[in-house]
Amino acid sequence: MRRAAGWALAVVVVSAPWLVAVAVPRQQRYVLHVLIFTALFAALALSYDLVVGHVGSLSLAHPAFFGIGAYAAAILATRAGWPFLADVLGAVLVAAVVAAVVGVPLFRLTEHAFAVGTLGLALVAWIVANNWVEVTRGPLCVTGIPKPVLGVGSGPALTVTTLPGYYWLALSALAAVVLLYRRLTTFRLGRAFHAVRDNEPLAGAAGINPLKYRLLAFTIAGALAGGVGALYVHYLSVMCPEEMTIGLTVNLLVIVFLGGVGSLRGVLLGAVLFTALPEALRLAPTWRLVIYGLLLLLVVVRSPEGLESLLRRAGARRAAV
Amino acid sequence: MALLEIRELTKRFLGVTAVDRVDLAIERGELVSLIGPNGSGKTTLFNCVTGYLDADGGRVLFDGRDVTNAPPHRMARLGIGRTFQQVSVFPRLSVLDNLLVFVQQHQEEDLLARLVRTRRQQHFEAEAVARARGLLELVGLADRAATAAGALSYGQRKLLAFAAALMPDPELLLLDEPAAAVNPTMINQMKAHILAAHRQGKTVLLVEHNMDVVMDISRRIIVLDGGRKIAEGPPDVIRRDPRVVEAYFGR
Repeated sequence: MRRAAGWALAVVVVSAPWLVAVAVPRQQRYVLHVLIFTALFAALALSYDLVVGHVGSLSLAHPAFFGIGAYAAAILATRAGWPFLADVLGAVLVAAVVAAVVGVPLFRLTEHAFAVGTLGLALVAWIVANNWVEVTRGPLCVTGIPKPVLGVGSGPALTVTTLPGYYWLALSALAAVVLLYRRLTTFRLGRAFHAVRDNEPLAGAAGINPLKYRLLAFTIAGALAGGVGALYVHYLSVMCPEEMTIGLTVNLLVIVFLGGVGSLRGVLLGAVLFTALPEALRLAPTWRLVIYGLLLLLVVVRSPEGLESLLRRAGARRAAV
Repeated sequence: MALLEIRELTKRFLGVTAVDRVDLAIERGELVSLIGPNGSGKTTLFNCVTGYLDADGGRVLFDGRDVTNAPPHRMARLGIGRTFQQVSVFPRLSVLDNLLVFVQQHQEEDLLARLVRTRRQQHFEAEAVARARGLLELVGLADRAATAAGALSYGQRKLLAFAAALMPDPELLLLDEPAAAVNPTMINQMKAHILAAHRQGKTVLLVEHNMDVVMDISRRIIVLDGGRKIAEGPPDVIRRDPRVVEAYFGR
């Protein structure tokens, strides 16, 4: 029964462009645009949750890695003329290296100092993007980022130009992130991450080096955020400093904590609710923040573990009846 | 050669010398107790030996190797298992996972192999699960394997922590007050578990307040007071030692 529901959901998600074309032909472009954003945001939120939910470090630096990946891809594609797959890979690597390098001193800080340190990193990255005009063009933005061309070397290539094409590209990226997320957060690796999160001294007694696992999660999360950033700029074809402000952290916090921190299902649910729903309800950006604040308050008071725990409890009740 | 040798170990906190030039040696296969009034430096000594505190002076040798101030995870991998005075479990992990955490680090480390979950990895996992289930059976928690450890009672968590320390099959077991704050039945159980582990070849160093337990199970007792070693010997001798009597029953 659950399996069947899962397959049905997968079919709906994959065939969404056609369903949209049939259901809302007049707003097809707009709806697809929202779906692409949702998929990219879901991937970004999952990468964020690796750090916040699984090793339990409140990092606020995610916009930095997203932005570094986005700029790396944008600059490699426009100035250096790298092909799509190469510049995405480059973006992932650059973001990973930056995360690993800044992670070493950052993880020497204890909980709150770590959060403040990562906040500082996000601010510095944003200021650099604004002011290092020779490289990032500052507020003028990097423009003319080419459309993704899928193909290696001189073999057959496929240029992604249509919105459904972008949607499937974003969906594939999300699927890859989901797969990696599951591999990282279950079994041996997941247990080591969770041990560090739940009780660091005891993790040490179990032979786990807490710094190593924190750094591993942070680096992988940074790399994935960089990759999402790269896909994002290839979709928008422009990258500006505003894309990497602290506002992005707020959105990610809302998605992860309202959805269900440390839970794949919860984070995906959060991404859908807080990317697609506000668009669907046509909420003005100013009101959106007010509503987010109220919702955050409500969920934190009523269900501190997020919406996912409500679903779980409802499932348990059904099973009990 | 002693399995664990501590030479002139010293630890100071803001001018207070918590451990003052303590020497001790534990031979392979011994069961030794470390006793002393509150604040005599027992737990500080434990924490220095297992890497949770950096010593200000002296050396720690394990199996002849100098491991002074090595980090906790390294000490664990060398074969030193420890428990904590405050019951220490991973509250959100299941009881079974609490044990499985303790064995993985001694096996294949390769990240890619762990992501791909090679056959070797799966084999390790199956072995670890079998061993963990055996230990849960031993401490009577087999029927709670899937429960979150945070939902266990105090005594059960204590048993779980003990089983977890045994999971990687350490050579040396450092137990910090395993019988504190549990009911008499549980104390007897714990005593039996410690003796059983010792019979199976584990070297045990026990910090304990419960004199009945200490006098009953140890062959040799080391007494600390004010950070210094004031006596050492078999239970009968320690019981009658005037310095020990004074340290415990007032001066």
